[in-house]
Amino acid sequence: MNFIENVKLAFASLKANKMRALLTMLGIIIGISSVIMINTMGSIMENSVNDIFDSQGGASLVGFQITLKPNPVRDYYTSNDLMTEDMIYNVAERFSDDVDALSLVYGTDSATTRFKREKLDLVVYSISPGYLKQSMTGVIKGRYISDKDITKHGKVCVISDKQAIKLYGSLDNAIGQTLSIDMYNQSYDFTVVGIYEYQLTGMMSAMVNMMGEDWNNEVYIPYTTMAEIQGDSDPLFFYFYVNIKDGVNATKFAEEVKDYMNNRFYRNNDSIEVYYATAEQQMEMMGEILGLVSMVISVIAGISLVVGGIGVMNIMLVSVTERTREIGVRKALGAPNSAIRTQFIIESVIICLIGGAIGIVSGILLGNLVGLLMDATATPSIGAILLAVTFSMAIGVFFGFYPANRAAKLDPIEALRYE
Amino acid sequence: MSRPIIDMRGIVKSFYVGTPNELEILHGLDIVVPEGQFVSIVGASGSGKSTLMNIVGALDRQTGGQYILDGIDVSRLEDADLSGIRNKKIGFVFQTFNLIARTSALKNVELPMLYAGVPAKERTKHAKELLEIVEMSDREKHMPNELSGGQKQRIAIARAMANDPAIILADEPTGALDSKTGRLVMDIFHKLHKEQGKTIVLITHNPELAEETDRIITLSDGNIVSDVLKNKPGEAKEAAE
Repeated sequence: MNFIENVKLAFASLKANKMRALLTMLGIIIGISSVIMINTMGSIMENSVNDIFDSQGGASLVGFQITLKPNPVRDYYTSNDLMTEDMIYNVAERFSDDVDALSLVYGTDSATTRFKREKLDLVVYSISPGYLKQSMTGVIKGRYISDKDITKHGKVCVISDKQAIKLYGSLDNAIGQTLSIDMYNQSYDFTVVGIYEYQLTGMMSAMVNMMGEDWNNEVYIPYTTMAEIQGDSDPLFFYFYVNIKDGVNATKFAEEVKDYMNNRFYRNNDSIEVYYATAEQQMEMMGEILGLVSMVISVIAGISLVVGGIGVMNIMLVSVTERTREIGVRKALGAPNSAIRTQFIIESVIICLIGGAIGIVSGILLGNLVGLLMDATATPSIGAILLAVTFSMAIGVFFGFYPANRAAKLDPIEALRYE
Repeated sequence: MSRPIIDMRGIVKSFYVGTPNELEILHGLDIVVPEGQFVSIVGASGSGKSTLMNIVGALDRQTGGQYILDGIDVSRLEDADLSGIRNKKIGFVFQTFNLIARTSALKNVELPMLYAGVPAKERTKHAKELLEIVEMSDREKHMPNELSGGQKQRIAIARAMANDPAIILADEPTGALDSKTGRLVMDIFHKLHKEQGKTIVLITHNPELAEETDRIITLSDGNIVSDVLKNKPGEAKEAAE
């Protein structure tokens, strides 16, 4: 009795009980499809996270911020604890060999502008020129905030392409126009010097799509200008970012800067010091979280696979009992125990493989359906598919063996007498 | 006398009905069936017919004595070898036909050849020839549930012939059929016996059917009470215990 005969036999027997076979498969389908869906979504998330990091200068981004010392005397900040411009420029100067761009964020403030009879919301980013490096954007018209804007406290701004078209009709028309920004109960006129491309990727776009909003409201101005508006002659910072040059080890650089700053500026501070976060760390952390989430869900999916497998075993036992007489006849006609055993194991494996195949397809579809919300598609790794196929086969063999063995060991005389 | 196909000496079969009780069903039977004989085994229920049939058909093993089937000492075989014996040496015909459900007539006839490892093409060809012998060629694609009892039994006989067995072992083959179709089935056995020289063992409780055969072995309470060879009166013998 060869393999193909057995497969044909198994299909015939499954066809005889289509509904039952399908219901039995359901457990396997759900299990495998959730594993594959998680895998697909996992790779979509990973791509998406990578996209975001890449658009922010990728692994070259290092952030420094003030934080509490291990055993602080107090648990709050005062203005004396914050970083000054001098400190930050000193660091940039000291590590100029490693630093590609320095970006300061003085603040992000809510503001509005009048357009026709409408009030449009704005978020004003008060930044340094280096911020361009880590923003998710590129300047497509005009220029970005320059060093000169910083020193001169220039009333200039960079707006998005969407804003330009909405407010001024076209990109070309927007450059040189005056944008009135209302904030802190006053109106300030800024000259539009540049336009950045509004683009969102991955998870960000998913969120924006869900909110149904397509008006990007970020406006960039020199941080010194904002400091002046707020009457702040000595701007202070909780944090700043550095994009390091190619080939510089992020962690080593960050450690050196941290030590330098703590030695030089925070040695006598009783509670506050500088700490850092690298994009690499963040990515690793995100990766770990994603991995953990996938693992937890995979374990749950694994449990459902085991439950599915028990379902298969149950139905195979029913099938063996139902076909006791048939088994007796086959034995009388000369089927050795091994042939009977193989027949039932193959039947169980086929249930699981068909279930597995349906599960893989539906898992990819479901995963991509979720991916559609994030404007991303992905296929699960070949490894995951192979694993799913192998696993469903293994379930078939494992949970099919006991019923099949029971069939094989039936006494032919008893089996022939069975009604 | 031609060579013996069934050579049973002192066959004893006992069952353990919970120690220490032992129930002896067959009390040392001697049966020798030469090649080409059409023999019937008759007896009331409880006479040991079925038990004897199971031993003859290599479905069961005797507890004592020796059984040589077509030159092979069955008592010494392992389970795995017994299935081979059933496959190649014995063709079963059952009272309830026992065709495999949802499997065409042709596939049913092929089944013993499948287990014997006969290649697919050869299998199909031979199965078709056999269906012709039992005059069922036009039903080869039919499923068992589309066939009448008589038709099913003819398919079953064709299946029993599949591996050209040493004996055809028919257990009440007409028991589930009306007399007309029963006649038809018996005619096929006679045809196989006369035309192909098949050794046939017919187990029945119907004396009229037994009368049609060469030899009647009558069992009662696990003993042979009579063994009549009819066609050749000179060799007839009465074997009482």
